[in-house]
Amino acid sequence: MLDKVYSGFGYWDVFIWLLFFAISAALVLFVRSMGRNDYKEGTDQDEIFYGSNPVPEDGADMGVPAASAYWGFVEALKPYYNALIDIHSGIASDYVGYFVLTVAIVAVLVLL
Amino acid sequence: MNWQIHLPALVLAVPLLGAFASPVAGLGGRATRNAWMIFISVLTTAVCIMLWQKVIAGGTAVYVMGAEAWNITLPSGLSWPVRIILEVDAFSAFMAVVGSIAALAGAFFSLRFMDRFTGLEKFSALYFLLVTGMLGMQLTGDLFNFFVFLEIASVASFGLIAFWRDRPEAVEASFKYMIISTISAMFILIAVGFFYGRYNAVNIAAVARMLQMGYAEKIALVFLVVSLAMKCGAVPMHMWTPDAYAEAPAGVTCLLVAVSQASLYGLFRVCFSLYGASLGSTVVPWTIIVMGVLSMFIGVTMAVIQKEIKRLMAYHSVSQIGYILMALGVGLLALRDPQAMADYGFTAMKGGIFHIINYTMYKGLLFLTAGAVFYSAGSRNLNELGGLARVMPQTTFMFVIAAAAIAGLPPFNGFVSKLLIYQSTFAVYPLLAVAALVTSVLTLASFVKVFQTAFLGPAKKTYENVTEVPASMLLGMSLLTIVIIALTLFPGWTLSHLVEPAAKALVDQAGYISAVMGGGL
Repeated sequence: MLDKVYSGFGYWDVFIWLLFFAISAALVLFVRSMGRNDYKEGTDQDEIFYGSNPVPEDGADMGVPAASAYWGFVEALKPYYNALIDIHSGIASDYVGYFVLTVAIVAVLVLL
Repeated sequence: MNWQIHLPALVLAVPLLGAFASPVAGLGGRATRNAWMIFISVLTTAVCIMLWQKVIAGGTAVYVMGAEAWNITLPSGLSWPVRIILEVDAFSAFMAVVGSIAALAGAFFSLRFMDRFTGLEKFSALYFLLVTGMLGMQLTGDLFNFFVFLEIASVASFGLIAFWRDRPEAVEASFKYMIISTISAMFILIAVGFFYGRYNAVNIAAVARMLQMGYAEKIALVFLVVSLAMKCGAVPMHMWTPDAYAEAPAGVTCLLVAVSQASLYGLFRVCFSLYGASLGSTVVPWTIIVMGVLSMFIGVTMAVIQKEIKRLMAYHSVSQIGYILMALGVGLLALRDPQAMADYGFTAMKGGIFHIINYTMYKGLLFLTAGAVFYSAGSRNLNELGGLARVMPQTTFMFVIAAAAIAGLPPFNGFVSKLLIYQSTFAVYPLLAVAALVTSVLTLASFVKVFQTAFLGPAKKTYENVTEVPASMLLGMSLLTIVIIALTLFPGWTLSHLVEPAAKALVDQAGYISAVMGGGL
């Protein structure tokens, strides 16, 4: 039941990984326990550093929106994404067209 | 008489009874309707598990509908079967168990999630019709019957996707799916007609025994492969999935994920059991592999740029289907070469089939967590959501488990199936494994985006009154979480008891044929 998974090229043992995570967690907790313990909650010590600006009261005014995530990745692949978004037109007749086209291409390949 | 011989029929009869009796149960009020929905879902799952146990212990189960005896597939004087036959091998039983677990989780989740809707007796009737269609596709040994169950599942899913009928987007999504689905169903029907015209039979085993590759068989193969690939959301015919998955109620989306696997089941049943070694050239295996690679890459790159949580997850469905197509395509490629099958083909098939259960569980869970976010926060827009981990800790925990599993992070179950797929596909063509690895990295990236934007970050005033979802919804999500953790902790047991028997059944065309047609192949 708790055996390894052999792939024919190597093996996988989940319990070695769980042991690895347990040791890592113990190390992290050990390092954390060595930190300073004179921290005072509710004082200036726990005030958020927000680029020297006042911290907005509503969390909605902070953070990176999803639209900005991976901006560089998307910008670098703009031609690819433009083509891909064009294909996803949302028009039902286009969907049918892609289906029929695929049938035709595969049919030619199989029949030849 | 041992009642367990009727298990194949019971697997279909129980949800069918659930569907037709739902309006009656609805007359008793909300509590009765909910109790009926859970009772039927639990019973269906239990019957599927019993059927799986029976098949593993006793081999392929055959059930003849409407005959004097349940096991006489060839009535006296006939050399081919004339009645509807259910044929359940380890692959069919495996798929039925996976589908019924997803249906059970979706049913638990839907109890409270659907409270805001009216006409819930219609909902539960359609839900169980969809379950019946899905299980019928997986258990039938008859091509025409497969088409009928496919249509039952399709019609039920049109109704369920458009169930929130005052949302124009839901009606539009259902309409688009209806058009493309109906056209593909016509192609399947024409293919079945080809077989009936050529062989005077529609039983898969009977046709497989007589099949000789000619133009009609090749065209039927193309129609079946492309239509079923469309139904499971393969590129370039995947466009219906983001609309349909995003607009269906979350519990239904969880079930739709399992239903797409029934189409995938049909695709591989056709390739391995109906055609098998008759496929001849490598065109069809490579077509499936190429569709798989395109689905993986295009699905995940489209997911990265989505701003709506369910659409993002729907594109990931396309991507995950790609892994399964690629793996089983590699298995199909190795089918005629015993050495290749031993070297990498069977490992690829194990990876692909393991990925079917993994994908159904974690993708179902992800859609349920997205539904939970929508239920509590009232939005699916990632640009608006944020800080929900503070107010929805259980949902967040289960989302993290599912996201880590789909991204293939060790030690989760997704990693194990992907490892088998990477290593076996590398042996065929290294670029296949590279594409799979890149897809995995991008999957992780897009789920980090969802986690960061929806669950992390400072609390937003808009969501200060948001609370965790009700217990029944948590129960639905917990069921899938428990299965994911079990698959993670016991991959060896899963492979040896669930996956390997299914993979062996799929490659054993002679065994599939002889279960109905007897020996003398």
